[in-house]
Amino acid sequence: MIELVSSLVPIADSFTPFIVDFPFERNYVESIIYVSLYVSLTAVLISTLVSLPIAMLVGFSEFPGKGFVVALINTGMGFPSVVVGLVVLFTVSNEGPLGTFDLMFTTEAMIMSQFVLATPVITGVSLAAVSSIEDGVRDAAYAMGGTRLDVALVIIKEARYGIMTGILAGLGRAISEVGSVLIVGGNIASSDGTSVTRTLTTAIQLEARQGRFETALILGAILVTLVLLVNGIVLRLGGGRV
Amino acid sequence: MIQQQRGEREWGANDGLALKNVSHGFDGTDVLDEITLTVEQGETVAIIGPSGTGKTTLLRLLALFYRPDTGTLEMDRTDVWTLSERERLNVRRRIGMVFQEANLFDTTVRRNVSYGQHIRRSWTNRLNHWLSRIGNEDTSQEVAEALDVVGLADAETQPATSLSGGEAQRVAFARALAYEPDFLLLDEPTSDLDPRNTAVIEDAIETARARGLGVAIATHDMNQAERVADRVAVMLEGRLIEFGPAERVFTNPDDPRARKFIDGELVY
Amino acid sequence: MIQRREFLVATAGGMTAALAGCTADDEGENAEILDETLTLTTTTSTYDTGLLDEVNAAFEDRYGVAVEAVAQGTGAALETGRSGDSDVVMVHARSLEDEFIRDGYGVNRRDLMFNDFIVVGPEDDPAEIDGMDDVTEAFQAIAETESTFISRGDESGTHTKELAIWDEAGIEPSGEWYREAGSGMGEVLNQANQTPGYTLADRGTFISQQSELDISIRVEGPIERGPDLLANPYGIVAVNPGVHENANYDLAMSYIGFITSREGQEIIEEYTVEGEQLFFPEAVSENPNFQQYVPEDWTPDEE
Repeated sequence: MIELVSSLVPIADSFTPFIVDFPFERNYVESIIYVSLYVSLTAVLISTLVSLPIAMLVGFSEFPGKGFVVALINTGMGFPSVVVGLVVLFTVSNEGPLGTFDLMFTTEAMIMSQFVLATPVITGVSLAAVSSIEDGVRDAAYAMGGTRLDVALVIIKEARYGIMTGILAGLGRAISEVGSVLIVGGNIASSDGTSVTRTLTTAIQLEARQGRFETALILGAILVTLVLLVNGIVLRLGGGRV
Repeated sequence: MIQQQRGEREWGANDGLALKNVSHGFDGTDVLDEITLTVEQGETVAIIGPSGTGKTTLLRLLALFYRPDTGTLEMDRTDVWTLSERERLNVRRRIGMVFQEANLFDTTVRRNVSYGQHIRRSWTNRLNHWLSRIGNEDTSQEVAEALDVVGLADAETQPATSLSGGEAQRVAFARALAYEPDFLLLDEPTSDLDPRNTAVIEDAIETARARGLGVAIATHDMNQAERVADRVAVMLEGRLIEFGPAERVFTNPDDPRARKFIDGELVY
Repeated sequence: MIQRREFLVATAGGMTAALAGCTADDEGENAEILDETLTLTTTTSTYDTGLLDEVNAAFEDRYGVAVEAVAQGTGAALETGRSGDSDVVMVHARSLEDEFIRDGYGVNRRDLMFNDFIVVGPEDDPAEIDGMDDVTEAFQAIAETESTFISRGDESGTHTKELAIWDEAGIEPSGEWYREAGSGMGEVLNQANQTPGYTLADRGTFISQQSELDISIRVEGPIERGPDLLANPYGIVAVNPGVHENANYDLAMSYIGFITSREGQEIIEEYTVEGEQLFFPEAVSENPNFQQYVPEDWTPDEE
């Protein structure tokens, strides 16, 4: 551990000028990272809670139209984010069905659209993962006296690496998309530079629009680092076997 | 010692796990036809017969995987499928089953073997148990004992994936034994195993029987049936053509087809 | 966006009351006021120049209300107002503002400020329009030489103005030299810079981005004695609470009041980027122009 830290010191030193040259205020960047993580992690959490039961249901029951449902899920994995943004826009807009809750230009609306984007990805990958679990494992759990829920939990545990991959893919899709959060979130930062609905992706878009490509690149590097970091943490928690 | 007591008991008068006039099929194809068979505690019943004759379906009916199309499944003379779901779960939890494949969970040997006890705890107890386990070694008397029966007492902390096929099957056996069921259903448990591992499993069957478990074993190995069984059921094309004490069935079966099968003349 | 918070406060308050047995809760009321926000939809030009940050910070200091500014371009900003998703709209396309008011979505329009449009283009100036006084002639020259021209193509105020100039010049722009970017001003300036090509830009955005660009001004606007056709007046309109009952009308009017007050206009006057003033206030006047309150061609005879 100590060796690791000391070996990192020169690297940190070489980064110092980079940090000093940081072209924006700390608060600005921190609040953008916070909003990005808050929106995407919340969306992915809700997506996961919805996706897993769907994946289990679709994976382990036979019903007419099952093929169609699977095709629908797989199509959803590649659904264009701007279209999702538009659909959520019409839903949460003042004149839409959820208009009374006044969700336009809020993080809640952004969570909704990222939820719509991430759910098919997590469902699709989890479905493939739970479908690949051998029937024998289910039989064993049932034969030992497992209830339906016990058996489902065993399958989820057995498929954990695949499910983890699905969640990561969903998170990757959520945190790196720009189309829908721009439409429903509005890329708002308050006048003191604190992000309200500005995410890393919409901030990058704004900086590029204003020709500040260096700033955009730095924000892009932060985004990539963040995604790598989250992946790393999840891989570590999951035993590094994805 | 135990061997000598075989055939000296009055069968049929006791409680146990029983199929009564059961017929069952899948997708319109009949698999079992009018089966009546009892497994009592403290005996081993071998179910023999050519492959594809319905042995697996019979065992899975005994394990409550399916509800029989006609006829009844009884546990200690109670019709299981008229019970409430909760009561039926309690019946299921008196039964253990080992399959041809080990079907171990992708975790440690200990977690596999303690799974039966784990799911018998209430959710609150599961949480408490989980919390108390943090930083502690999880030890369970039953798990250690069950592993000892199959000669794998020192494998507790190993990951299931590191085991050989024979060892995995022995863990699967221990897993079914650890929650102390009253009945043990074995579906061709040794057909993929070498003689050494087969011997361990057969010893374990003997131990289970001695502890008072009712064991039903489906096997295509006539010698194995002779080694372990108190009673033998011979199946052919979904019917039970012979059912009686092992000694009699092997030496003097009533049904000429059973005779042929036992002599190895009936080949499918 | 206040309604949602009111809803939450009301729910929380209701639960507290139910639990505590109906004691009045003053804290809830206070939290509600402090939490208020005003949603302003506006054009990319006011936003990207940084002017709004100045104005909004001052407004927030004074009123304790957060302004959530959404930069969209004139067409989208008005459309958001139409659906009742914003409380106040600040744009620069009088014809579209008038339509917005005529359709009943906007009330209490004020002239706010102006700057001007300029035609920018590359140093080698293939259409030879540098220094022209007549922007229609310059556009004609661009079309005749088929020099690359990048249009916003996004229904923004700048786009509306550009189309008006083509119209004036009697040209229907088409061909490979005419490219519709469908993007904001900043992106279009970047494109014009990279291509290179000509484009119509508002002076504010151009100045704030000038240091990153190689293209420069070819035809000046009225601020530098260019043609009046290139004038770029900004207006501000409140969303009609009669059409959208959730519109935060009182805050919208506070905002309009503030930005058209002497203090607000001074902030606009004093706002500079790289030493240059970007916007010129025009709200405070001894003799107000009555036409600013109604559609330009409106007469009292109209029903």
